[in-house]
Amino acid sequence: MPDTHFHRPQHFYKYDDYDRTLVAERVEQFRDQVRRRLAGELTEEQFKPLRLTNGLYLQLHAYMLRIAIPYGTLSARQLRQLADISRKYDRGYGHFTTRQNLQLNWIKLEDAPDALAALAEVDMHALQTSGNCIRNVTADHFAGAAADEIEDPRIWAEIVRQWSTLHPEFTFLPRKFKIAITGSPNDRAAVRVHDIGLRLWRNAEGEVGFEVIVGGGLGRTPMIGKTLREFLPKKDLLAYLEATLRVYNRYGRRDNLYKARIKILVHEVGVEKMRADVEAEFAATRDGLLGLSDETIEAIARQFAPPDLPARPDRVGAVERLKLEDRDFALWLKSNVAPHRASGYAIVTASLKPAGAPPGDASAVQMEGLADIAESFSQAELRVSHEQNIVLPHVAVEDLPAVYRALGQLGFAEANVGKITDIIACPGLDYCALANARSIPVAQRISRHFASLARQHDIGDLKIKISGCINACGHHHVGHIGILGVDKNGVELYQISLGGDVDFGNTALGTILGPAVTADRVVEAVDSLVATYLDLRAAGERFVETFRRIGAEPFKDRMYAAL
Amino acid sequence: MPLFREGGPAGLVVDDPWLRLADDAAVPADGMVLVSFGRWRAARAALLARRGPVGVALANTDPVEALGPDVSRFDLVVLHFPKFSDGRAYSQARLLRGRLGYQGELRATGGVLQDQIPFMLRCGFDSFESDQKGFGEALAKARTLFSVVYQPTEDGRAPASVLRQRVTEVVPVR
Amino acid sequence: MAKNLSGDLQVASANRLSDGVVVWLDDAGGWTDRLDRAAIARDGRGADILLARAQAEASSVIDPFLVAVSEGHDGTVEPLSLRERIRASGLTFDAIAADAVRYA
Repeated sequence: MPDTHFHRPQHFYKYDDYDRTLVAERVEQFRDQVRRRLAGELTEEQFKPLRLTNGLYLQLHAYMLRIAIPYGTLSARQLRQLADISRKYDRGYGHFTTRQNLQLNWIKLEDAPDALAALAEVDMHALQTSGNCIRNVTADHFAGAAADEIEDPRIWAEIVRQWSTLHPEFTFLPRKFKIAITGSPNDRAAVRVHDIGLRLWRNAEGEVGFEVIVGGGLGRTPMIGKTLREFLPKKDLLAYLEATLRVYNRYGRRDNLYKARIKILVHEVGVEKMRADVEAEFAATRDGLLGLSDETIEAIARQFAPPDLPARPDRVGAVERLKLEDRDFALWLKSNVAPHRASGYAIVTASLKPAGAPPGDASAVQMEGLADIAESFSQAELRVSHEQNIVLPHVAVEDLPAVYRALGQLGFAEANVGKITDIIACPGLDYCALANARSIPVAQRISRHFASLARQHDIGDLKIKISGCINACGHHHVGHIGILGVDKNGVELYQISLGGDVDFGNTALGTILGPAVTADRVVEAVDSLVATYLDLRAAGERFVETFRRIGAEPFKDRMYAAL
Repeated sequence: MPLFREGGPAGLVVDDPWLRLADDAAVPADGMVLVSFGRWRAARAALLARRGPVGVALANTDPVEALGPDVSRFDLVVLHFPKFSDGRAYSQARLLRGRLGYQGELRATGGVLQDQIPFMLRCGFDSFESDQKGFGEALAKARTLFSVVYQPTEDGRAPASVLRQRVTEVVPVR
Repeated sequence: MAKNLSGDLQVASANRLSDGVVVWLDDAGGWTDRLDRAAIARDGRGADILLARAQAEASSVIDPFLVAVSEGHDGTVEPLSLRERIRASGLTFDAIAADAVRYA
């Protein structure tokens, strides 16, 4: 790609020649594998794990390429290239996922190696976005900017990314393995519902280390992770992860696909036995080559050094005025703008959930528009959130009106972040080979029904999460309102649950209300749940708090009476 | 089933000199015999008393640590992949090479396909049973596929993190 | 209102290896991306033969399988299951266009 855009300094990890070489060699290896598959030298059974570890799925209508966006961090230049790739090899749009990846839905197998080579041009890849290996590592999407951050988790996510890439021992695990890292007490990375969750915290001695949480996950058997290690010194991270993965690789179940995740192993042997096994393995390897030297950590940490943000005013007359003149802008400031740790700056979330749109989708033109905005107003940097939105991490307060207008032109300035129309939805039966029911059309109907911003802000924080099957890519278990699509004799039905949450300290799985409802009643059902909340809430109480106080019954009774 | 080792443009196809002994077969007084892990545990003394090398074949659920210091007595350890997608033997291989210091032949059997060779080499395997067409050629090229690795393993290759520290002044590869 | 998904009429379907496109086996033993050209098996024995033919022609596609369909008076063929209807006719909502600035 001729890089016509001004090269901005990058404030996150930059590939060096080692990284570039490895990714390029991996593309060539895959090109040869695709050639052998097309020539009939590999069976589909043999080829499938090879394409999956390169991010290539077969969905209902076509192949799908899942591109890794490690720890959700992107440069404007990278996003432009993604737009380009979507145009050249796909239908010109992409879907941002709950795991901070980007999915292209219409890829051809014969084009996949070229698409991967185009990704490599901007230091990106699709490695290990599928398959029974360590998946793309996710992190807090506000990392490096959040006011509440102890330490930037992306430093550690990058260290884990490198260690896990083409790890020779852990490429044929019993099942997929997802790691998430947060550096803030307010967990935005859902670390308790991952195979391993890592939470940076400062102990009484003032040292920063990791709480290691294991065996969380959603899917068929949702479980909240358990603490394996209260405090792990940072230098031991890789040795401890390797010990944990080795125990899992050896003892995780392989007799039943649905019992193969590490959460089942932890559940079956108990966390004490799991801990003893991991600690024994760790004791044997901790002083080995995996120990992280200060220099290694420093060298990576330097690359995440925050941008030099010039001093900008904290209170800006024009912003205050617009707040009074434009109610939607005022609402947007409340819901889509979060505090930055540098004064005079803010973190802006561009909502990829305009009323009636498929959640998380963006066209090539919209991606380029976001890249433009990031270049003009956010140090040429963007983030993908696990809530399927795009974050502009470093926006000056005085630029907020301009950013609001520019996002508005893309349809991405909806003041709904964290609100009822900020819906998480998996691709569902419209795309997915595993799905039992559609997700996107359901999300669209709810989104249209609750389009009024004033009403959404009155309802307040309310997370709706929709999955089209029990695999739970839409995280329905942890939705304040969770919606699970099921198939009953060829008819789509939706099971509704309440009270799920991923907030640290409050992590909970939702309670199923009762019999599933038909597709055409989902909006009424949600409407009734909201009405119950509005009637019964105490002052200042969020939806999920009201649920915790009064339980499921009042919601349930009224909802089924309404249907 | 052809047995391969590295060497030459198409790998080396080698004759298997080992006699794989069924658990109920009598132990010959000499020659190279390969026994199961269970047989080794049950008849360790007798097997050590005989002349001739001994090898042991493990199921991927056998506790490799239990071989302990005995590993120096083996000339062959065979690790099995019931399916190519069952990766337990990779961990066994690394424990054998890294933790127990085993130095003899380490052979992969079962679901052994050419696209796994780079991983197997990194975990310390050095002989391979495979009937896949083109396996030998793939074996010959396997070490050239990736000039960079990220993990320290039993193949002794310096991972990128180590090389980066060595070459603070010099331009790295390519 | 639930439909019987194991109807008598069957077609053989798969995804094409090179690009993943949904295809059906036609009467000539080739793979077509048009459902209206699919060969239809009308009983159990015919279905077995159809599947066997599909599997014999499987080198350019991935994992052929049978799909229960209905046939209208005008000869229009429609899969019985929602999943297969979506495979045959595409997304049930409008995806955003490549040059779209906003989702309309």
